[in-house]
Amino acid sequence: MRMSLKVSQPPPHGGRLVNAVVDREEGARMAAGCPAYDIRPTIDPRTGAPIRNAYREVMSIAYGFFSPLDGFMTRNEAESVMRDRRLLSGWLFPFPIIFDVDGEELRGLGVKEGDRLLLRLKGRPFAVIDVEEVWRFDPRDVADRTFGTPERNPEVVRRRFDEKHPGWLMYRSMTGTAVGGRVHVINEPRLREPYGRFWYPPSASRLEFGRRGWRTVIAHQTRNVPHTGHEHLMKEAAFLGDIEPCNGILVNAIIGAKRLGDFVDEAILEGHEAVSRFGYIRPGRHLVTMTLWDMRYGNPLESLLHGIIRQNMGCTHHMFGRDHAAVGDYYDPYATQTLWSKGIPSYGLPAPPYDVDRGLKIRPVNIQEFWYCPVCGEIAYSESCGHRDKAERFSGSFVRGLIAEGIEPPPIIFRPEVYQVIVKWWRRFNYPFVNKRYLETKEAELEVELDPMEVTTR
Amino acid sequence: MTYKIAIVLDKARMEKVRSKGVQVKDLYGGYLKVIELEVPDELAKRILAEFPRARIDARGFIEETPIAFKRELFDSVVRMGAGPAAIEDAMRPEKLARIKELASKEDEYLPPPN
Repeated sequence: MRMSLKVSQPPPHGGRLVNAVVDREEGARMAAGCPAYDIRPTIDPRTGAPIRNAYREVMSIAYGFFSPLDGFMTRNEAESVMRDRRLLSGWLFPFPIIFDVDGEELRGLGVKEGDRLLLRLKGRPFAVIDVEEVWRFDPRDVADRTFGTPERNPEVVRRRFDEKHPGWLMYRSMTGTAVGGRVHVINEPRLREPYGRFWYPPSASRLEFGRRGWRTVIAHQTRNVPHTGHEHLMKEAAFLGDIEPCNGILVNAIIGAKRLGDFVDEAILEGHEAVSRFGYIRPGRHLVTMTLWDMRYGNPLESLLHGIIRQNMGCTHHMFGRDHAAVGDYYDPYATQTLWSKGIPSYGLPAPPYDVDRGLKIRPVNIQEFWYCPVCGEIAYSESCGHRDKAERFSGSFVRGLIAEGIEPPPIIFRPEVYQVIVKWWRRFNYPFVNKRYLETKEAELEVELDPMEVTTR
Repeated sequence: MTYKIAIVLDKARMEKVRSKGVQVKDLYGGYLKVIELEVPDELAKRILAEFPRARIDARGFIEETPIAFKRELFDSVVRMGAGPAAIEDAMRPEKLARIKELASKEDEYLPPPN
């Protein structure tokens, strides 16, 4: 058999894209007579700040970003994921996706297995969940088993997770009562500005790639306004394609509640957009998109989710850099690259995600790092540059520190047009980064608007 | 383990350290001037404990400390030089109390540039 060296678009993870968004008429029929439950945020018990809203998970499930996952997990499925990183169908999946609810209210509604529950958002009908199981869990135990420990996962976990880790805190702060079952969005939301123009669910992104004639597309994960180190990562990683560099670069920003001190979502999206708007990457080769997800900052686990999302979106390649989706020093800085080059047996992956049954088809591009080299006089790749001892490394924290002190970062590390985007949103929120007030505003507004919808509820 | 902390120098700060014999380092092709201080492990732990948002970045630098702390530290460096004593000085209880009060305001509002 002859094998072409040309790479083609991979199938969705699990074989087909989930599409669980129904039209309003059908939605009203599905929800008729159901008890109603208002989705509410997960709250940081220390500060009272909202740190997650499960509506984002409903959206990512229903629009196919998390395919083949089509609902919130039952106990068995969550256990399978925490033990082997596998759904009950056997497909790889990194995180337990848990719809935790107020147990007392649920009992009051008389909800039991086999029922359908209407989920309201901003006081309006939004989705339904077919209740397969109501189950209880110990949030701390789930948090620990989701991320691992240095004893159980010595390949990559460097120290025990605690409240300073936003992802661990998210699980730790759940209610302990969960509803598992399939979800459907019954009242399709409108994305608010600026989010609307970045909303490309997998079926739409695949169409867009076709429209642009992109056969090969490399994904760039982001939770940051890009500095020039990110820009170089995108440009250089895109050189790996097949018979030519990748046709397209897909920037996919994770949009949701982030840790205090990260950039605000609006600036992240428009900052990336400015990179091509002002020609630092040709617009025809660059597409900025988003996924709704309250980031767990799970480094290798997060990278697995990123692989799933971007494969579903139709990407052929995914770049992974140092400290991927990480915070603090909980993980080895190259934990993600360990996963994508050797696998992490203690996480249930004895081989890389693309070399296991029911694994992924997206190709990793493991990149070390870019730094400024004063000898070369340019931004250089760490594995090419011979002046390691002179290297001036990029640091997002350092850049944020500069900005906070009111110092405009020099153009060699930050494009002026990108900085102007930060200033634009800084003026809007009176603060350039995520703080408690931003999280509260974000929780009140969310990224979506819903039209009124008549549903007769129980 | 020894970590580092950097103080970025704008024009006003450059003036203040000019005659103090403090070593100033060029960063990113000279676009930025910084003072780098070495932070012994114990002192680093104290800084991280005092400022919940502070963290050690990929370069081994302590970052995301309050702006008020950096200002206080800079003043201490001007008086005492760029050694651990300056850090100890900026961490004195009466200074810490003031820094924390200012830091809580910093979390609420930072004036945008004109």
